[in-house]
Amino acid sequence: MSLLLCRQEHVKRPYFMEAMGVHLYSSQELSYVIYNHPLLVLEGFVDERLLTFLREELNQGFLALKLERWMKNGDNPDEALLIILQECDYYSMSEVGRFRQMTASLRKKHPADFKRMKADELFSLRQYGRAVELYQELLAYPPGEYVDDLFFAKIWNNLGSCYGRMFQTEKAFEAFENSYRKMEQDEVLERLYHLSRIDERLVLSDELAGEITEQKKKTWNQRMEKAREKARGAEQMKELEALFHQDPVKRLEGEAELVYRWKQEYRNMA
Amino acid sequence: MDGLLVGIDLCDEYTQMSCPDEEKTWTIPTVICRNKNVDEWYVGEEAYAHTLKGDGIIVDKLVNLAMRDGTATLGEVRYGGKELLYLYLERVIKLPKEEYKKEEIGQVVFAVKKLEPKLNHMLRECMVRMGIPEERVQVISHSEGFIYYILSQKKEIWNNTVGMFDLAEVGLRYYEMKVQRGMKKITVVAEYEDLEEWFNLDILKSPSGGRLADKILTACAERMMARKAYSSVFLTGKGFSNQDWAKGLMKFLCTKRKVFMEQGLFARGAACRAAEDPEGKSSSPFTCICDGRLKTTVSMNVLHRGQETNVTVAAAGDCWYDRVSVIDVIPDRQKTVDFIVTSADSKKKRMISIPLEGFPKRPDRTTRVQIRILFLDERTMEVTLQDRGFGELFPASGVQIRQEVML
Repeated sequence: MSLLLCRQEHVKRPYFMEAMGVHLYSSQELSYVIYNHPLLVLEGFVDERLLTFLREELNQGFLALKLERWMKNGDNPDEALLIILQECDYYSMSEVGRFRQMTASLRKKHPADFKRMKADELFSLRQYGRAVELYQELLAYPPGEYVDDLFFAKIWNNLGSCYGRMFQTEKAFEAFENSYRKMEQDEVLERLYHLSRIDERLVLSDELAGEITEQKKKTWNQRMEKAREKARGAEQMKELEALFHQDPVKRLEGEAELVYRWKQEYRNMA
Repeated sequence: MDGLLVGIDLCDEYTQMSCPDEEKTWTIPTVICRNKNVDEWYVGEEAYAHTLKGDGIIVDKLVNLAMRDGTATLGEVRYGGKELLYLYLERVIKLPKEEYKKEEIGQVVFAVKKLEPKLNHMLRECMVRMGIPEERVQVISHSEGFIYYILSQKKEIWNNTVGMFDLAEVGLRYYEMKVQRGMKKITVVAEYEDLEEWFNLDILKSPSGGRLADKILTACAERMMARKAYSSVFLTGKGFSNQDWAKGLMKFLCTKRKVFMEQGLFARGAACRAAEDPEGKSSSPFTCICDGRLKTTVSMNVLHRGQETNVTVAAAGDCWYDRVSVIDVIPDRQKTVDFIVTSADSKKKRMISIPLEGFPKRPDRTTRVQIRILFLDERTMEVTLQDRGFGELFPASGVQIRQEVML
């Protein structure tokens, strides 16, 4: 138990962490991102833009110089991240040691698995647009020992989820169809069924419709109803309802603010 | 720096001014007068003269008026107390400027009877308005002026305890100063006590009144100075401008002690302070523990570069009224912010723990807490803990905890 003393960092131009869609304002945030999201920083993270941020905004000229030398020498690429973690003083030496082990084990992964994990991480961070790019790259992989039908089924399924979250239902439907064709998993069929109910333009082929029994329909419908019920009771819905009960001026202001926020969120995720 | 160094003892009754290494001390009644017919202002004795002549309206107790945001109407114009104080100081400060033919002020130090943040700000504002940069202005207490004056004297004067009676028009105060050695830095402790035995100085005008005053003060001195080893005793204030009435007191004081009569002592002390650091940048060679200064050190144990370090937030001897400390910390599995309070005299340590109640639950080490510390007086510290979040990763909630801590 302790209190970490923060160094004085007067950041005027924060570092934009593209992969996460966030700005970083301190050395602690930079360390946190490196440590908790290694998949996002293991490739091409340490570049001139980062060095400029370290040098000019965090006043870490010495660290920037160290990294510059490292870049010129072209040594172990993960070493640069370890140097940053050590110099920023946010993690203890034992934690930096753990990070070293973590990166080493990630480096041993199959390239396709590494990319899939990275795409999944982006998905968990609601960076669906960036995740889609990686999933599509993975679909171009030649089939092999590791890249088998199950792998492709998962990738198509995840791609469908990404599109679904971006409200691109047609693309999502197509991706789920491809996933189902690979492994015929029930949960994927359920997603197709729900999409066809949400968007009338999406129609299940006779072949797929034939595989959905009355029992399955009943269970899935119940689940959909439950989900809708949960959504109706969500805090955001309550806020929205409260907004509609306000006087016209406040309501208009609130609506504009909300739409702006949604747009920002959407742009960030897509 | 070639600018003029001035020490000013500013009271409601009088103002005394002195410059380092100069014999001359100005004593001016703290009054200002505006001419009834033209926009002319007079201060001190000149103000009294114009009032007696009937062509001016006088205002006295200028410090008090400014402190209570009072106003005075002069020549059908209503003036704020602060404005009058400014006009007064503007004129008064010209005296040493003209005497020593220096236009620029290098450092001005005010010594005041009761140090309050409001007075500190007000005097600084007045000086800035006169074109004196704020960093060249200091406000100290009479106790501190006393310390600086005494320490400017030969060592034998302050080897042991130094006592001082200040018999003014409005009160009697006893000061005592001790130098504590054997620490990293010499520590000087000065305390004072307002004595109830004060009498109106008018009684000194009659022989019987003088005898009574002498008896009162002698009894008072016997009580205050019993069983203590003094290296010197000082007598100051208007009451001691003539000591013929105080024969008994002098007899008591002069036994095995050096006794000095010194007028303008606080102004001289303030001038010593101005001379000590004319650039206003370096720290004092000794630690002052007195009125206006903290008597305790407040520190925190923090982790810095992987090592537990003790960070001083405010040190004993710092001016409490202009001390604001701001530091940012990130709690690591800790739900409180802890302060260590160490008293300057006994070195006793006390832990004060403030829980981070109401702060949002976040993963460990993702809450930046801004700690802001200021002092409401010598014994009261105000701590504000604010949730600063963790950038855009964990946005700040705006939660703030404010707590007053008795030191």
